[in-house]
Amino acid sequence: MKLDGTIDIAAPAATVWAVIIEPTDLAACVPGVRDVRRIDDRTFEGGVRASVGPIDGDFEFRSVLTRAEFPSDLVVEVEGTDSVTKSRVVAHIEAALVESGPAATTLRYRAVVTTKGRLAIIGEMVLRATAGMMIGQVTRCLRARLEAPTS
Amino acid sequence: MTDPATYDIIVIGGGTAGCVVAARASEDPSRRVLLIEDGPDPRPIPDVVADPKRQSELILESPYVRMYDVERPDGSSFPLLSGRIMGGGSSVNNLAVVRPMARDFETWSAYGGPDWSYDALLPLMRAIEADPDFGDSPLHGADGPLHLHRGYHLDDPADPPVRALIRAAGDLGLPLCHDLNVPAPYGVCASPYNLKDGRRQSTAVAYLEPARQRPNLTIRADTMVTRVLLEDRRAAGVETRSSDGELLQVRAPRVVLAAGVFHSPQVLMLSGIGPEEELASLGIAPRVPLSGVGSGYQDHAVVYVTFQGTTDLRETYVIPKVRLIAKSDPSRDVPDLHVFMRPSIRMEGMPPLLPVSLHLLEQRTTGRVRLASADPSDLPIVEPALLEHPDDVAALLGGFELVRRLTAHPALGAFYGPLLTPAPDTDPADHIRESYITYYHGVGTCRIGPADDDGAVVDPRLRVHGVEGLWVADASVLPTVPHANTNLAAILIGEIAARELSAG
Repeated sequence: MKLDGTIDIAAPAATVWAVIIEPTDLAACVPGVRDVRRIDDRTFEGGVRASVGPIDGDFEFRSVLTRAEFPSDLVVEVEGTDSVTKSRVVAHIEAALVESGPAATTLRYRAVVTTKGRLAIIGEMVLRATAGMMIGQVTRCLRARLEAPTS
Repeated sequence: MTDPATYDIIVIGGGTAGCVVAARASEDPSRRVLLIEDGPDPRPIPDVVADPKRQSELILESPYVRMYDVERPDGSSFPLLSGRIMGGGSSVNNLAVVRPMARDFETWSAYGGPDWSYDALLPLMRAIEADPDFGDSPLHGADGPLHLHRGYHLDDPADPPVRALIRAAGDLGLPLCHDLNVPAPYGVCASPYNLKDGRRQSTAVAYLEPARQRPNLTIRADTMVTRVLLEDRRAAGVETRSSDGELLQVRAPRVVLAAGVFHSPQVLMLSGIGPEEELASLGIAPRVPLSGVGSGYQDHAVVYVTFQGTTDLRETYVIPKVRLIAKSDPSRDVPDLHVFMRPSIRMEGMPPLLPVSLHLLEQRTTGRVRLASADPSDLPIVEPALLEHPDDVAALLGGFELVRRLTAHPALGAFYGPLLTPAPDTDPADHIRESYITYYHGVGTCRIGPADDDGAVVDPRLRVHGVEGLWVADASVLPTVPHANTNLAAILIGEIAARELSAG
């Protein structure tokens, strides 16, 4: 599954960059992510709990920042396993910042998510269903944290 | 090595249709019947298979489901599924008992002649079922092997979401459909399931179980058929490979191939029966050129639409109770959609999400199944070619509009909030092409038709063209995907094959 889009934030690119390369800061903006553990400067682990009808599952993942060249080359590899089917989900995420004004930045993202195993039967439907709302919440969270309050 | 035992009939595949054929064929004690199944034959039947409440666990966690990865044109992939256990699809499916529509039989008659008409096959459809609600009537049977159960009738009291769905659909002009197994069902339909005393009635239960003690029926599970043995152009038996790798030749003058839409064409091609060039390219000596083998694949495309919900919809609310049989365009004469309100997706920090699934009951193009290699253990490659015709995409767009109107109705609007997927600022046709999956209702890879039809594999009596003593008996013989779930059609084909075997 492929996802792409942009998020406009009224903050300088360097400020946005500082948050998106800091695992715990970024994870705090993603709904449902819990038990975030910082492994090193580029790696963190965490979990997500989700239910689809009668199925309740935990998804444990590891996220590794593999490239970070300010402002236009950020690559994150996420790999995880769900507790129900033990399936593997791999996500390759690329992001870049474009300064669109003195205090205005556009974050462009592209992600390719691959599910291997039984989770593929329902996983993509769940990912598609949740992705839009999740990205919306991340957007609101980043703006709330980074944008200067207007008087 | 050759099996010292000989048989009169070998049935390859203990799937939905294969169990029917083996059970019916062994009713005559003078016939020695061998049923060979690649998957296991666990007995007693595991609770995860028998108990419909464990359906999600069966599909997501059990060893009884096989996945076939297929690609969409954009390079993304999704899995097709089949049952790998005695009973095949009937042991792992959602238990729906849905007859093909009269229009399907009309279409199939164009390929198979008058014996495939609705009127000609109605007696067999009646003989299959024991319908407690409509049985012993001109349309329905009361004492067949397959027990039907309707857990909900449209005039029963219902939970608020079900009442809301019925009301919204009614206000949009969809009539109440108490019995969806009529020639032309349409509307808000109560869903029948093959259940008895709360347990799944697969064909392994409804047909094979009562036959197991017959001395003339032998069952071999965990055994793969690697090819059909041919002598000149006559079937002479099969070669099998057991789970420990031992090859064995088993002799019989009549062989019935019921390995399903993916594996029936695979076994034919491994036996040298199929498209000459394709076989030769894999090092398989062509024995009987038959270009239609593997071609003609059709299925039902499925697309999800998701809304923000105001509450959780649980599995028991909607799924087992009601399905919509609807038209993508009100001017159509035949309904072409199944619509299901699905249980909610819940994730911490987010409101409940409510998916609705749209199931397109037609495919205007055909795909194919081809060999990955000459190794019988390699799963065949499936190229479903779904949604390649613009009218198929347009039909699903018509379904989107129906769902939009349903969820905007005040009754359902109490549960369904804003549309999330496809996002309102995107082209819904792109969402359809990028995210479709299937209903797991593949047909057509060994379809019926006359000998001068290049795409035909079997004649209307299910005999493989150009080979004596070889039949195909599963959903692969259907020339077009029915406007219905395919399990009952597969059972019907098993019954037809059994009748043909008795006719000689």
